[in-house]
Amino acid sequence: MYAQEEEAQPEKKVDKPVRSPWESGTLVNHQTSVTQYKNTLEMVISHRFGTIDNGISDVFGIMAPGANIRIGFNYSILDNVSVGFGTNSQKQYQDFQAKYTPFQQTRENTIPVSLTVYGNAAIDGRPDEVFGINYAFADRMSYFTEVIVGRKVNDWLSVQASANFTHYNAVDSIMDNDKLGIGFGGRVKFSPQSSLTLEVGVPLEISSLSQHTSFTNHPKPHFSIGYEVSTSTHAFQIFLTNGLGILPQELYMYNLSEFDSKSIRFGFNITRLWNF
Amino acid sequence: MRKIKLSVALGSLLVLMSFVLMSFTQDKKPWDVPAKYQSMKNPQAADDAEMLKVGKMAYSRHCKSCHGNIGQGNGPKARSIEADLGDFTTAEFQAQKDGVIYYQSFVGRDEMPNFEKKIIDDEDRWAIVTYLRTLKK
Repeated sequence: MYAQEEEAQPEKKVDKPVRSPWESGTLVNHQTSVTQYKNTLEMVISHRFGTIDNGISDVFGIMAPGANIRIGFNYSILDNVSVGFGTNSQKQYQDFQAKYTPFQQTRENTIPVSLTVYGNAAIDGRPDEVFGINYAFADRMSYFTEVIVGRKVNDWLSVQASANFTHYNAVDSIMDNDKLGIGFGGRVKFSPQSSLTLEVGVPLEISSLSQHTSFTNHPKPHFSIGYEVSTSTHAFQIFLTNGLGILPQELYMYNLSEFDSKSIRFGFNITRLWNF
Repeated sequence: MRKIKLSVALGSLLVLMSFVLMSFTQDKKPWDVPAKYQSMKNPQAADDAEMLKVGKMAYSRHCKSCHGNIGQGNGPKARSIEADLGDFTTAEFQAQKDGVIYYQSFVGRDEMPNFEKKIIDDEDRWAIVTYLRTLKK
């Protein structure tokens, strides 16, 4: 009696996600598709200095008052899901965020792009009076949601594009509560640990969606160019940007700075990882 | 009574001195590598260009700051480390089995961190080992 010989099945190669499409989960002001491995705690410190137009008198804005800082923590509850909290000096925003990457670009290109969904809710922490006479807690709330599509083109170039939606419960009477925007970002890696970073966020003027007949003080696009270096535990980004805001809704709704010599400023983001 | 006090004092001083002197010696104690790792073999070819590229990137990111550009234990953080960082260019290091290098690199001990939760993909880990083999002088 012969034992039936099974045909040896060729080992099916599992197509794995591309390695490090981005050095960290943030690209200056936008999110990337990168989430740290499960059970990683990430601390993010973000700083935006004053504008450079005072020259050396305030060391190009570095010593200027009116800087904006955010200290935040993100925790990866799954390999592709993270939740986080941050506290900001600007408007004393307290923000809560979550990020989910349902699918990642794979090495053999079976999935050509990464798709990421990001959302946050922020509480404006300023005194009640700021919100006018009929104050309600809900006036403090703003929300931001974004869908990001990204691709690691090759070893040295990664790009992404996003569509996003901003909502503020309470805005000045001449403004819209809602804003649609689009974002673009890129990383050009010129050494194993260093990259040039670029990002732009464009709030869209869509008359048909506006609550008003014309736009007053429509927010301007925010743009950043910078340098990023990463190590095993840290990523450092230093850049020039026009927006003072760190939270994306603040930038998409309220940025009135142009990207010109009067309005640009230095900023940095530092992330630090702990693996548990 | 005085004699006992003196001998206790002297004895304590000698013990204390030995601790102080020990701190000047480089910690080069042998590694106790479990059998499971001893029998591991690198599944990658020594000249696998793709894996060498991956290994080199990962080495730059995770290892270079302590171990230096070519693994001679002279990275910027090396000065603050008590233990002997080894020299990956030496025949002595390279003579170790693949699995031993794997264990030393990813399980680590003492000041050598554990990288099992940071470099999770086994292919990436072996890529680093493949790259380390090229550091041989």
